[in-house]
Amino acid sequence: MSAAKVKMRQKKLKNQPASVQFVSSGSPQHNGGGGEGSSDNDPPSARKKSSHLQSLWVRGHQKDGGLYPDKMPSFITASSFARARAAEVKAMLKAVTKTTSSCHIFGALPRHMRRRAMSHNTKRLPCRLREMANRLREKSLHGSVKKKQTKRTSRKARRRHGNMLLEFNRRQRKNVWLETHIWHAKRFHMVKKWGYCLGDRPTLKCYRPSYRAMSTHCLLQDLSYYCCLELQGEEDKLLNCLSQLTSKEAGPTFAQKLCLSGQRQGSVVLYKAGQFPSQALGPVTFLWRPRTSGSADRQLWTWVHPALKQDILAEFQSVCQCEAVVLPPLPLVMQADMVSAAGSQPEPDKTREIKPTPGRKRKQSHRDANGPPAKKILGDGTRSPDIPVTWKSSSTGIVINDLTMEIVRYRLIGPQSHSVLADALEAATDCDDMSKSQPSCFWWPDHCKEESKMKLHQQQSDVFHILKGIYSSAELPPGTVLGLTVDDPRLNIPKKRVKALPCVEEAQEVDNEKRKELSLLGVPEHCCQSFLWEQSVRNHVTENKISEQELNRMKSEVLVPGSRLRPTPLQGRVPILLVHQSGKQGGHEMNSWGAGWDLLVPKGWGMAFWIPLVYRGVRIGGLKMSVTHSQNKGVPHFPHDYPDCPAGARFQEEQESELLEKFKRRPPAKRTNYIKNGCLAPFCCPWQQLAEEWDVIGSGEERKEDVQAKSDAAMQSEITSPHRVPASKPATHFTVLRNSKSLRLLSSWCRPTSSKGQRLHHVREMPPLDLTARMTFQTTHGMSLVWIRLSLLAKGKPDLHAVVCAPTADDLKLLKKGPGASGPQEPSHRDPLKSTIKPSKKSAKKKASDKTRDTPSTSDQTISMFEEPLSSSSACDFVLGVWSNPLPSVVSHCSRVTLGWVTQADFSLSAGCGEALGFVSVTGLVHTLVGQPLEQRGMVLLRNPTSLQYRFAKINIEV
Amino acid sequence: MTEIRNPGMSSATLGQSSDSGHCAVDIDPVEYTLRKRLPRKLPKRRNDVYVNMKTDFRAQLARCQKLLDGGGHREICVHGLGLAINRAINIALQLQASSQGALQLAANTSTVELVDDLEPEDPDEAAEPMTRTRNNSAIHIKVFYPDP
Repeated sequence: MSAAKVKMRQKKLKNQPASVQFVSSGSPQHNGGGGEGSSDNDPPSARKKSSHLQSLWVRGHQKDGGLYPDKMPSFITASSFARARAAEVKAMLKAVTKTTSSCHIFGALPRHMRRRAMSHNTKRLPCRLREMANRLREKSLHGSVKKKQTKRTSRKARRRHGNMLLEFNRRQRKNVWLETHIWHAKRFHMVKKWGYCLGDRPTLKCYRPSYRAMSTHCLLQDLSYYCCLELQGEEDKLLNCLSQLTSKEAGPTFAQKLCLSGQRQGSVVLYKAGQFPSQALGPVTFLWRPRTSGSADRQLWTWVHPALKQDILAEFQSVCQCEAVVLPPLPLVMQADMVSAAGSQPEPDKTREIKPTPGRKRKQSHRDANGPPAKKILGDGTRSPDIPVTWKSSSTGIVINDLTMEIVRYRLIGPQSHSVLADALEAATDCDDMSKSQPSCFWWPDHCKEESKMKLHQQQSDVFHILKGIYSSAELPPGTVLGLTVDDPRLNIPKKRVKALPCVEEAQEVDNEKRKELSLLGVPEHCCQSFLWEQSVRNHVTENKISEQELNRMKSEVLVPGSRLRPTPLQGRVPILLVHQSGKQGGHEMNSWGAGWDLLVPKGWGMAFWIPLVYRGVRIGGLKMSVTHSQNKGVPHFPHDYPDCPAGARFQEEQESELLEKFKRRPPAKRTNYIKNGCLAPFCCPWQQLAEEWDVIGSGEERKEDVQAKSDAAMQSEITSPHRVPASKPATHFTVLRNSKSLRLLSSWCRPTSSKGQRLHHVREMPPLDLTARMTFQTTHGMSLVWIRLSLLAKGKPDLHAVVCAPTADDLKLLKKGPGASGPQEPSHRDPLKSTIKPSKKSAKKKASDKTRDTPSTSDQTISMFEEPLSSSSACDFVLGVWSNPLPSVVSHCSRVTLGWVTQADFSLSAGCGEALGFVSVTGLVHTLVGQPLEQRGMVLLRNPTSLQYRFAKINIEV
Repeated sequence: MTEIRNPGMSSATLGQSSDSGHCAVDIDPVEYTLRKRLPRKLPKRRNDVYVNMKTDFRAQLARCQKLLDGGGHREICVHGLGLAINRAINIALQLQASSQGALQLAANTSTVELVDDLEPEDPDEAAEPMTRTRNNSAIHIKVFYPDP
């Protein structure tokens, strides 16, 4: 009997008197049959009699009885018999009066007399039931009153500002909101990722318009979720510490001259200290504060993705020996010092007020005590106060600050992004003499008093004005930084949304010379300074922001409605930083596509800058669009394209489980059978296995050709000398090739030597791909993967995790015949697991209790090769049509040799063909290239996980 | 003439080079990666056609023809830079030939200043990234119906 049935029965029999079950229980027979006296008198006989009686009372066949009694009882005691019958009658009467179906009184009525309205109006009930119904009704009414108390407060109360903030703070306890969250939540599909609520994609259909915005006008993104880690200390000490994390072989490091002066933003991939080719951590962008005269201390901001913040923070701490945690009160003292140094009014109690922002509750009690108006908690307000944000080293004097959520970062992508900025922002206006003479509590009037600072401001605003005369953001040197102080951008919002366009003609004659200088040299060093670097100024600006309400009131008091508010209120000056982002750099097509600017603003001002930018006709993009952006730009995107970093590996695991869940949601008959398609890893790419297998293949060949290569190796040693790696390197974990020299070499090998459209712009002597070069390359980068861009030659749209294969000689001949050749087909694979699953399913049904015994018995029937995966995988995580771990050999699974997989793929609107980004094994790639004729170097095959059709694609490695 | 500018330092080591758009002679090709920036763009009218070498010639010709025939423009401007000068001339002449003499041409030449970025490749970071300008020729052909 099922549990539900038992429950139902129990409920029905709840009110039944127990004695109705007279028959089944043993004790009543004693009462009925043998009298007390008789049992006393003659125990053995009575027992015998009672057993006889017992059998008399039992109806039907009984197991213990076996035979029907052939003898009736010889005597009956009348009194006890009558008593027993009386009890039975009483129980019966009780059962009749009780309703069985439910405890509701309507159960007492026969079905044809019941009416629905009876529950509403008890007078419709017969008299005898009315009283009880009234009682029940009262009880239920009472219950509803109780319910009403738990019901939430009225909408009006909930929408009250303070209550709303409370609710918002509760909702972002787990996943922090950005300042533009509410704006985004109304327009975007939100996802919870990396401890933030982020907009994934707009609810509008706007893939193509967004692309168009990126290539012709401007696309805006909120990147405030990127974490800023600040390092302060002496320059050489900082560089010394940080140099352990990077390698010069992988390109410019923190010490790059232009970056170090603060004129450019740089980017590096960090590794664990001293582990260069292996154990990558992830990419960071960094920005040095320009040198200030009279101070040896430098400030460095590194912007890291939240997924890898903890890894990098821990590494920074160990490298800089910053173990000592600086408690929160200490930075306040420092702040106060800095404030006085900056020349503005120190307000220690105010800063203290904003600093510990543990949550609403304390805030509210604080308000109750003192009575200042409640302020919205800005920045990382949900962080608990005991989490340290500052670490100081006693030996090196380096201070690490965690500035997460302290600075708002917006990214504008597109050739017109500078004109959007130039339109929306206005360099801060000077304040008049009167306010200058009066001592004021704002930072700007004090600032205006100093001649040198005003001069700097003037120069900065001059540079900013030149931006208007530039047609495309790509004209500027990549990575340029410009510091600026601007007016409150809310003051000049246009009435309607208008598209910001450059006004080249007007500006052209005036500062043609200046424009040329700017595009050649970039912004001069002193103009890169900004007050955004000062924590005191940042806090001050955040606290003294005019509220929206106040600003609207001031606007409404303007004489001519709709005109600009003049003079600008003193609080309305904000220090910002503008950082240029370079466009596409590698390759020869679509050069400098997707260049733009990043706008850094102190916290609290997020929406104040967001709305004015939106009113300049920009499109807004989410996380999806940033993936598309990097895809079209041809740069690896974090965390998708960093499988060797811990954060990237975590991302892959998440992605796998997500995709598997999605796959399992489909009905089994509609799922793709990936085994039949010969796709080993549709959800997660086994990079480690790929690298290992290729390493084995490579070393096997090496042994064969060792004798031949040995003599030539000495001659070719100059190639290998820069990237010398210990020969007996314990091959443990795969790495991603980021050595710029090796990449350049590999890139030159991938290009067909003589082909139209592939002219080398700078002819360079590269060692040709021959046996010795290949051998030396393989020994150094045997376990490496290399990041590649694939563009399809003809048809086809690649998918995620499409497999990259090496073409055979026949395939290349096919390609030679015509450009429209669609590529070979993969023969359909047999699904060996399917046959094993079916019997196991049946047997599982038969003996559901014993699952463990079941598995080996079925695997006996299978071929020995597939015994292993089946027995190792437990029955629950077994999905039909997907290989389970451990996988068979990845390289030789299909008819074409597998080189790698694709991590991002789409139809590229900028190239007009399918494009994919992925990784291939270095050994496999070199192995393939050697076997290809010179004019067809770099041709590979690409096959989607859901199809059997191979497509020709061209490998590009862009340095 | 080519100017070579070196931010922060004077351009000491680098000499002159030809103005053909070729890579500089004196710059050691192993030391630097050359990245070309896009030529400066100007606002484009509807009847401006910028000719490139990537798009199919016939497609570009058809586009010009369409502007003249169906687009309602009395005149169009065909611009070509560097290698595309040839093609721009070719398009203009083809347009004229197919119109049976109804169209007239007026050609102008100019010089466009281009900017290159030179990124040092040596890992020691002794060299600095540099920017230089070089000149390239351009042609602007006005293709128009003469006023009656």
